[in-house]
Amino acid sequence: MIFLSRTLPLVIAFAFGMLGVIGYYVPHGDAQSLEREMALWVRIVFAFSYLLGLYSLLNLHWQRIRQRVAGWAYSLIAILSFAVMMVFVVYNDGLGPFAAQAEAGGYKWLFDNIHVPCTSTMFSILAFFIASAAYRTFRARTPEAAVLLIAAVIVMLGRVPIGRELSDLFPMATDWLLNVPNLAAKRGILLGVSLGAIATSLRIIFGIERSYLGGGAE
Amino acid sequence: MHKLLAIDRRIIFALVFISVAGPLLAGISLPITPTDEVKAAYDQFEKLDAGDIVLVSFSYGASTQPEMLPMSRAILHHAFRRDLKVVAICLWPEAPGLAQQVLEEMAAEFDLEYGVDYAFMGYKPGNFSVILNMGQDFHSAFPQDQWGAATGDLDLTRSLRSLRDFALVLDLAAGDSIEFWWIPYGQEKYGFTFVAGCTAVMAPDLYPFLDSGQLGGLLGGLAGAAEYETLIDRRGSASTGMSAQSMAHLVITLFVIIGNIAYFAARRTSSEQRS
Repeated sequence: MIFLSRTLPLVIAFAFGMLGVIGYYVPHGDAQSLEREMALWVRIVFAFSYLLGLYSLLNLHWQRIRQRVAGWAYSLIAILSFAVMMVFVVYNDGLGPFAAQAEAGGYKWLFDNIHVPCTSTMFSILAFFIASAAYRTFRARTPEAAVLLIAAVIVMLGRVPIGRELSDLFPMATDWLLNVPNLAAKRGILLGVSLGAIATSLRIIFGIERSYLGGGAE
Repeated sequence: MHKLLAIDRRIIFALVFISVAGPLLAGISLPITPTDEVKAAYDQFEKLDAGDIVLVSFSYGASTQPEMLPMSRAILHHAFRRDLKVVAICLWPEAPGLAQQVLEEMAAEFDLEYGVDYAFMGYKPGNFSVILNMGQDFHSAFPQDQWGAATGDLDLTRSLRSLRDFALVLDLAAGDSIEFWWIPYGQEKYGFTFVAGCTAVMAPDLYPFLDSGQLGGLLGGLAGAAEYETLIDRRGSASTGMSAQSMAHLVITLFVIIGNIAYFAARRTSSEQRS
């Protein structure tokens, strides 16, 4: 059993990890064909993750409805909305589920007239909460917070036309903030994250990092 | 001062609403000055010749549509006005409906012929692996377009073999597709000219890629879209929206300043009372 639960996954991780590296860096035709195949496999595996996500989502809401937890009616709406959309997707404007997606029809109408306005509205509400939160919590309590606050005010005004109308210094200072301190910090973070990702990947490929296998006992 | 600190949030909401709706209703227009990164994106399109093929990747959903749609519209308008051919793909599950909307709009405006002037390949799952796949064999990544026609049957896509066949690649993104998919697995590997448009909050993260030259130009949020509209001399919803965004930013800035004044005044009063 240890072979199936430990050794085989480690061998697979090593083999495909190395093949991925070879496919990316070696320009030889065979390596490129291999990379093409692997990219297709990844896409197929990726597609299955949608099924898993769908199951997880529906199961979560179904359990909330069954247990009548607070707000269960929202879960009911989520499942009903999914069912209605699914009916129209399968119907596909009369073409059926195996034809390419129809250019118009019920699904498109629901997407354009319900999904898009609802989600856009939800996102737009953020502006109101940001304003309220900024008023109540954005305080210059420490020197670091004061620097952050001043930078935020400059960038907020420098990125919109009214900032330039108030003073040319706002866009100039915004450019400097974005191109010097922001760029330097972001570059440092990116390098750190990338080196960390490379180190973790190598640890997984060579079987040093095994926590992804789960469990604890050999 | 304590009263000012404990102001009813509905008053804040009302002021934000007025600051957004007021300029839109009054039709206030403010001059827009394009930034260097938007000019760079514009210049990349200007360098292309009529008939060149541009790949446009739609990687955003409905929640960010108010920011991303004006940007998509402005760039596609510029591309079609210059007689460039556009192949559109989606790497975001929600994107096909949004891409279809803007493509149909452009097709009507410029009287474009599907399959000749533009093609819509639809959505494929796989994130970065779709990009790798397109780099090696475009037809294998997208064997059919969104409507089921074979990629090899469309005039525009018949001869496309790899990402290298595109004169320019544009990613319109609301997620991490620019930084973690297109640059490492596309631009860096296949060396094409790459331009991006993204939401305002994402833009500061992408400055290192502009500096390194991996990104040929960048449009950040509604401001980026408005700047692009200014460059192509076509005032659209982004330019109109900038007056509202300007006022909203000003109001939020005032809230921050007033909130801090009230906070420090209240703290001073409290410490005086204690002593």
